[in-house]
Amino acid sequence: MKLPRLDLTPQRIAGLVGVAVVVIAPLLPGVEGVQLSIFAGVIATAIAALSLDVLVGRTGQLSLAHAAFLGIGAFTTVNVGGRGAPWPVAILGGVAAAALAATIAGLPSLRIRGLQIAIVTLALQYATEQYAFKNQTITAASQSLDRPGFMGSDTALYFFACALLALTLIVRWRLGVTRAGRALLAVRDVEGRANAFGVEPGATKLLAYTISGALVGLGGALLAFKNAPGTLTSLDPFVLMRSLLLVAIVIVGGTGSGAGIIAAAFFIDGVPQIFESVGVPFTHVKLELGTYAPLLSALLLVVAIVLQPAGIGGVLQDRLERLRRRGQDPPSPRPRLVDLGAASDAAAHLRDVPRGLSLTMPVRALLEAKNVTVRYGGVNALSDVSLEVRRGEIVGLIGANGAGKSTFFNAASGFAPTTGSIRYRGIELLANSPARRTSYGLARTFQDMGLVRAETVTENLLLSQTWLAKYPSAAGLLALGSTVRAEADLRRRAAVALELFGLDHLAGERLGDLPYGTMRIVEIAAAVAAGPDLLLLDEATAGLGPEEAHALGDRFLALRDELGLTLVVIEHHVPLIARVCDYCYCLESGVLISEGTPAKVTADPKVVESFLGRAAAASGGGKP
Amino acid sequence: MGDLIVGISSGAAYALMAVGVVLIFKCTRALSIAQGEIGAFGFFVALRWAARGIPVVGWHIPAFMTLVVAVLIAAGIALIAERFVMRPLVRRPPLDALIATLGIALFLALLELQVFGTATQYATSPVGNWKIVLFGATLVAPRVVALFVAAGVAGALYVFFKRSKFGLAVLATAGDPTVARVLGVPVNQVYRFAWVVGGALSGIAAALLAPAFGGLTPFGQTTYALRALSGAVIGGLDSVWGAIAGSLIVGVLESLVGAYVSAEARSVAVFAAVLLVLLVRPRGLLGETAAA
Repeated sequence: MKLPRLDLTPQRIAGLVGVAVVVIAPLLPGVEGVQLSIFAGVIATAIAALSLDVLVGRTGQLSLAHAAFLGIGAFTTVNVGGRGAPWPVAILGGVAAAALAATIAGLPSLRIRGLQIAIVTLALQYATEQYAFKNQTITAASQSLDRPGFMGSDTALYFFACALLALTLIVRWRLGVTRAGRALLAVRDVEGRANAFGVEPGATKLLAYTISGALVGLGGALLAFKNAPGTLTSLDPFVLMRSLLLVAIVIVGGTGSGAGIIAAAFFIDGVPQIFESVGVPFTHVKLELGTYAPLLSALLLVVAIVLQPAGIGGVLQDRLERLRRRGQDPPSPRPRLVDLGAASDAAAHLRDVPRGLSLTMPVRALLEAKNVTVRYGGVNALSDVSLEVRRGEIVGLIGANGAGKSTFFNAASGFAPTTGSIRYRGIELLANSPARRTSYGLARTFQDMGLVRAETVTENLLLSQTWLAKYPSAAGLLALGSTVRAEADLRRRAAVALELFGLDHLAGERLGDLPYGTMRIVEIAAAVAAGPDLLLLDEATAGLGPEEAHALGDRFLALRDELGLTLVVIEHHVPLIARVCDYCYCLESGVLISEGTPAKVTADPKVVESFLGRAAAASGGGKP
Repeated sequence: MGDLIVGISSGAAYALMAVGVVLIFKCTRALSIAQGEIGAFGFFVALRWAARGIPVVGWHIPAFMTLVVAVLIAAGIALIAERFVMRPLVRRPPLDALIATLGIALFLALLELQVFGTATQYATSPVGNWKIVLFGATLVAPRVVALFVAAGVAGALYVFFKRSKFGLAVLATAGDPTVARVLGVPVNQVYRFAWVVGGALSGIAAALLAPAFGGLTPFGQTTYALRALSGAVIGGLDSVWGAIAGSLIVGVLESLVGAYVSAEARSVAVFAAVLLVLLVRPRGLLGETAAA
C-alpha cells in the first residue's frame, strides 16, 4: 500500500511547529507550575476570543458580551460541579448555559441586520455583571468545585486546557468545511439570495450565536477548573473591559485566523501576567510591560483596524501564501478550453439527486407560466405574461433594459411578489419557498452575482449545493461518518462541474480576485453543481470577450445535449441567441411582444422597434 | 411622581450622549460606543487640574471651569479621533467603525486607569451644590442643569436643521454622502462637525453625570454611555428626537424599577427593553430605517 504523500505547505509546517511548542513548553527549564496555570488562563482567553471570532468572522456581527458569557459558563460549571456532578456534566452545564445566553442575545438578528445588535450584547454584558455576578447565590460563593484526579497538577491542567483549545479549533475547522459554516457566509454576504441555495437564514444566524456561546462556555469551564478547588474568587475575567479586550484580540489577531488570534491572546493576556516587568539589557531601566501591555493592545486595536484590518493572521497568511507560490506563475484567471465530450460524460451524473418531488408525470412543458403579473407599488414590472419552456430546449428571453426579464426569473425562483400561475412539471410553484423550488430542480444565476466573493471558487460551488447536504449541522461539526461521506460527494460534484466549465485550475482561488466574466461562469458552474433540471441564466455572457462568449455557447449546447438540462437564458448577445436557442420570447415594458424561433423573433418589426426605436424599424434598419 | 422626575433628569443626562451618538451615526454611519469615555477623559483631566493645578503653569482652575475644560478636551479628542481614525474608515464596512470606536473607548479608559488609578475620583459639581425639591423629589444642581441643557440642545438642533445652510448640508450627507459630495456639500466638514459636537456633548454629560452619580471611574462613564446607546436604539438610531425620547424612557424605567423592584434589576430592565424594542420594532420608536 502506498502511503499518501504529505503535502508540506508552509501553513502546515507552521502549524506543526506551533503544536510542538505547546507540547514542549512545560518541559522547558525555568517553567514552573504557576506559569503553567497562567498559561491555562491565557488559553481560556484564547478560547473566548476564538469563539467571538466565529461570530465576527462568519456573521459580521459583534458581541460585546463574550466576557459575560465566559462568566456564565464558569459559574454554571462551579454550580453544577460543586453540587457533586461529575466533571463532564459540569462542563456540559457551563457550555449549555453560555450557549443559551448567547442565543438570546442573538434573537434580534432574526429581525434586523444592523449594528444595533451589538448594543443588545453591551446591555446584556452590563446586566449580567450587575444582576448575576454580584449575586452570591449565583456566583456559587457557597459551592466548591473540585478538580478531578487527572487534572491534579498544574502540568495536567495545562494539557487539559490544550485539549479544550484543540477541541475549539476542531469545531471551528469543521464549521468551515460543513454546510453550517457556508450557510453563515451566504447569510452574511448575500442574505436575500441564500434561500435559493436551500439555506434558512433565521435558523442559520441563531446557530452562529449558539455555537459561539457554546465555545466560550468551554473557556468558562476551563477557568472554573483552573481556580478549583473552590469557586472563582475574582470577577476580573468577566467584566466589560474584558469583553472589549476580547474584541481587541480578535482584530489584532485577524478574523478567521486561529493562529493569529492565539498569538494575540498570548500577547495581550499572557505577556502582562508572565513578565510583569522586564529589564532592558545593559541599562537600569525597567519596562513595566505588565501595566502597559493592555494600553498598548488598545492602541494596536485602533492601528490594526485602520491600517491592517486582516490583523496578524492576515499578514501571516499573506507571507505563507507568497512562500507557497514562489517560483510559480499565477494561474490564468480565464476558463480553460476543455474537451467538452469527456467533461460532459463525467458530469452526466450531476442530475442524479434526490428530488423534493416524487412526481414523474410526463408533461409537455417543463415550465408553464400563465398570466404572470409582478407589481412593485404602482408599477407593473411584469403584466399578464404567459410563456412555456419545453423540456430539453434552450429558450432565449430578450428585451431592452427594464423589459422585465430578470423580474420573470425572480417570479419563477421565488424572489418577487407574483400573481398568476407558474407551473413546473405540473406543480404550482408560487405557493412554494425558493428553497423548495431548488429541491424541485430549479437553479438560477443572478445578474449581479449571488455568490460569496470572499470565499474560494470551490467553497461557492459547495454552497450552492447546500440543499443536497441534508445532514444536521451538529452532526457535521462532530464529523460523524455519514457527513464526511456526504461532504466528499459534494466536493466530487463541485470538481466535475468546474471541469465542465474549464475552471478546475481556479478551484482554490478567491472568487472576488477573478475577473468579472470568470466570476459569472463560476456562478453558472455553481448552479449546475446543484443538479438542476431547469437552469435560469441571467445575462451569462456579460463581461466576456467574443471568443469566450462563443465557448460558453458551446457549453450551453453541451448542457442541453449531454446533460439533458433545460435552459432559459436572458441574453443581449443576438448571435448567441440565434446559434443556441430553440425558441425565443421578447419582452417590452413587462409585456410579451413576440415569440417564435430566434430568426423569426429577431426579424419581428415590433422587436426591432423595441430595441432600436421606430425610425430604425420603419427603414428596416438592421437586426437588433 | 418623585421617581419619575429623578428618572427624567437621569434620562436628560443620557440624552446628551445619545444625541451625540445619533448625530455621529446619521452623518458618518459609525455607531460610536466611545461617547462615554471621551467625555470622561476630559472631565478626569479637568478634575486633576482643579485639584493639582495645570502642569507647568500651576493654575488651579475653579470648579465651574472644569465643565468648560472637560468640553474642550473631549471635543479635541473627538477631533483627533475623527481625523486620524474614523475618516479613513468611512468607506469601510460599518462594523470596522464600531470596532474602532471600541478601541478608542478602551484606550481612553485604560489610560485613565494608568494615570488616575482605579479609585473612584470624587467629582465636584461644576454648577454648584444647590438643590431643588419638586413633587417630593430632591434634584441636585447637576441634574437640574442636565435637564435644561438637554432641552437647550434639542431646541438648538431643531433650529439648526430647519434654518441653517450647514444643517441642511448635514441632512444631505446623512441621506447620501456620495450624492452630497457631488452636489458640493463639504462632507468632511460635516463629519468633523458631527464628531466635535458629539465629543463636546460627551464632555458636558460626564461633567454633569459624575457629580450626580457619585464620582468618576475608568469605564464608569461607558456604563452610562450604554444607557445612552440603549436609548438611541430604542428611539431609533437615525432620529435625534428618538434618541432623546429613548434616553428619557431608559432613565424613567431605571428609576421606577430601582424604586419598586431592586437596584440590581435596573440593568436587566434596560436590557429587556432594548431586546423587546428590537424584536417588535427594529427601527426603533421614531426611527425611519432599520439598516445600520
